Amino acid sequence: MTADGAHNDAQPEEPVATADGTVRPSAAVSSPPAIGESSGIDIALADLQGLEEVVDREALRDICHSFFDLFNLSVRVFGADGTLLADAHEDAEIHAYLRTVPSARVALAKDVDAVQRLVPRKEEARHTEITGAVYDVVPLVYQGRPVGRFVVGPYLPAEMREVPAALLALGDLDRERVRDLLTAMPRVREPTAKRIRAHLRRVVDLLLFASHRAHLTSEMHVASVRASYRELAEKTAKLQSAYDRLRELDRLKSNFLATVSHELRTPLTSIIGYSEMLETGIAGELNAEQKDFVATIHGKGDQLLQLISSLLDLSKLEQGVMTLHRERVDPGELLAEVAKTMVPAAHRKSIVLETHREEGLPLVDADPVRLRQVLFNLAENAVKFTPEGGSVRFRAETTELEPEGGDTLGAVLMAAPERAIALSIEDTGIGMPPTELARIFDAFYQVDSSSTREHGGTGLGLSIVKRLIDAHGGSVRVESEPGAGTRFTVLLPETGSDIGVGGT
Amino acid sequence: MQLDFKTRELTVKLVYYGPALSGKTTNLQAIHRLVESDVAGRLMTLETRDDRTLFFDLLPLTFEAGSKLQVRFKLFTVPGQVIHNATRRLVLQGADGTAFIADSQLSETKANQQAFLDMQENLRENGIDPASHPLVIQFNKRDLPNVRSAEELERLAKRGKEPVFTAIATRGTGVMETFLGLAELTWRRLDATHQLGEKFDLDADIFLQEVRERLVGGRAAE
Repeated sequence: MTADGAHNDAQPEEPVATADGTVRPSAAVSSPPAIGESSGIDIALADLQGLEEVVDREALRDICHSFFDLFNLSVRVFGADGTLLADAHEDAEIHAYLRTVPSARVALAKDVDAVQRLVPRKEEARHTEITGAVYDVVPLVYQGRPVGRFVVGPYLPAEMREVPAALLALGDLDRERVRDLLTAMPRVREPTAKRIRAHLRRVVDLLLFASHRAHLTSEMHVASVRASYRELAEKTAKLQSAYDRLRELDRLKSNFLATVSHELRTPLTSIIGYSEMLETGIAGELNAEQKDFVATIHGKGDQLLQLISSLLDLSKLEQGVMTLHRERVDPGELLAEVAKTMVPAAHRKSIVLETHREEGLPLVDADPVRLRQVLFNLAENAVKFTPEGGSVRFRAETTELEPEGGDTLGAVLMAAPERAIALSIEDTGIGMPPTELARIFDAFYQVDSSSTREHGGTGLGLSIVKRLIDAHGGSVRVESEPGAGTRFTVLLPETGSDIGVGGT
Repeated sequence: MQLDFKTRELTVKLVYYGPALSGKTTNLQAIHRLVESDVAGRLMTLETRDDRTLFFDLLPLTFEAGSKLQVRFKLFTVPGQVIHNATRRLVLQGADGTAFIADSQLSETKANQQAFLDMQENLRENGIDPASHPLVIQFNKRDLPNVRSAEELERLAKRGKEPVFTAIATRGTGVMETFLGLAELTWRRLDATHQLGEKFDLDADIFLQEVRERLVGGRAAE
């Protein structure tokens, strides 16, 4: 698995079998589908092939220098691939001298070569050079795998007393000088040398362990984030497609509503028309009972037409195809008009109607037909839900709109109040609990479905009111207290302030 | 598994899986303590918060078996807390065998079940078929009150096919048995799919005997 040059040179490349049963050349390290493919480190097995992959070289160099300072011994650290990772040494004078002698120079070169070729896998190895000095080569094994080596030396074993005969045999040497220079070389007793090697081995192993852990940690961080991101992306895609489908269904529903309403209205118009004609006696006089029946057909037909028109309005508003015919409208006048039309109904239930109009209300830019529809709807509700003897108040006044939200960032700019027209209709009716207030503008929603049967209505009115006012760039507010009454307020922007929103 | 013919090196990945706080890390710590020091490497703990594993723990066990086959067992734990699912799946990647560490306390029955389902799901996500994956189950914390009785465990164990062990990991009891049980299952499985015995001239029984001897130095694994 290692790729260190000297060690592998003579060996043929053999294949590596991987967990998934495939066989790859051993040069390509086998690994399961890698997630942290960016680095050479295998997360699945948390393995490393060599010291060089993770170790902090700066730290390794510092350790070697400190080692050299402490023991005066040269040390070099190599990775599994043979790279020199750290080096702390001082050329011995004896070597400098020997290099000046040709025969000695050749011998020294051979020694250096021999040390470089020494790549033990488990046990320490030693090379003795021509001077009698030794190099100790110590394999670094990490998690049961050789990941590099360090070389200590050359140093003279303290036990050596004589100049080696082989050195003296080289000839052309100044023997006295050789003897002097050899004495100057570091000498270490074997037991001490052994302890020193063991110490360095432990220090490098610890450094490797710490570096490996740091690497794995960062790899895992990245891989976990990626995995989480992928999971979230999948979930988001699922939600998005569900959302798209719902939107499509909603669109289909609106289309269906529009088509059906339209198709219902056409024959209904004939029913109403013919019953009206019958009622007027165009096709001959009717007796009282017949007249009564025809009037009922006419009345119920009108009611049905109203309902269908509401549905059509709603679907137009939902599809955004409702056109507003805006003109300058006096909102106070409009409200008073609506209040007036409620008089007969209010009278039947002995309900008091009060109208209050602020003097000099500005005009608003609105579709008078639609605005009347809105106010009429609210007024009708107010009368409908107010018990006998109650009251309904109509108010038209100017007010200031405070922007919503509690953020005070740049309040001087952002929270500048806007002037608006408030049209409110307040009753002393049954009221609504606070939990219901947020939902009353949803289509087909009624606080209590039994109220549809008791009070009539479709549950469409308020949703149309809200959408129409939205289309005008305004808003509808509701305040209510169960048993005490309800106040609906339609807020319309004063002309010139914000009319860009409407027109849909 | 990773196999290198050139260096005659076999690397096997074993994962300790289980619900939060069931004692996965404690198992590794006990193995680290119990096996011969030349076999066990340093126990590496990757990121913890409040003493809970965030990524994984790793214990390498290395020894030579048969005719110089270098065997490297790498024991991993997963983080048990529910939120670390992505990490659990990453750690399970390339697993050759799994020890499921269950908490014996009756109150943890649901957590055990949930973690077991989660393990199967994550194995599948990694392209590993849970049905043929070497798996042992350990019921840990046998020393606590309110645990399922030994008789009941035995009765339930007979209904499943995977070996079931009981343990008190804090004391080291049952930890080596669990590991050796998993090592055996995994070796037999790898042998069947990769003919390891044939390639390295290593009989399964002899190999397992060697594992036992190398790891616990011939001491009875009690």
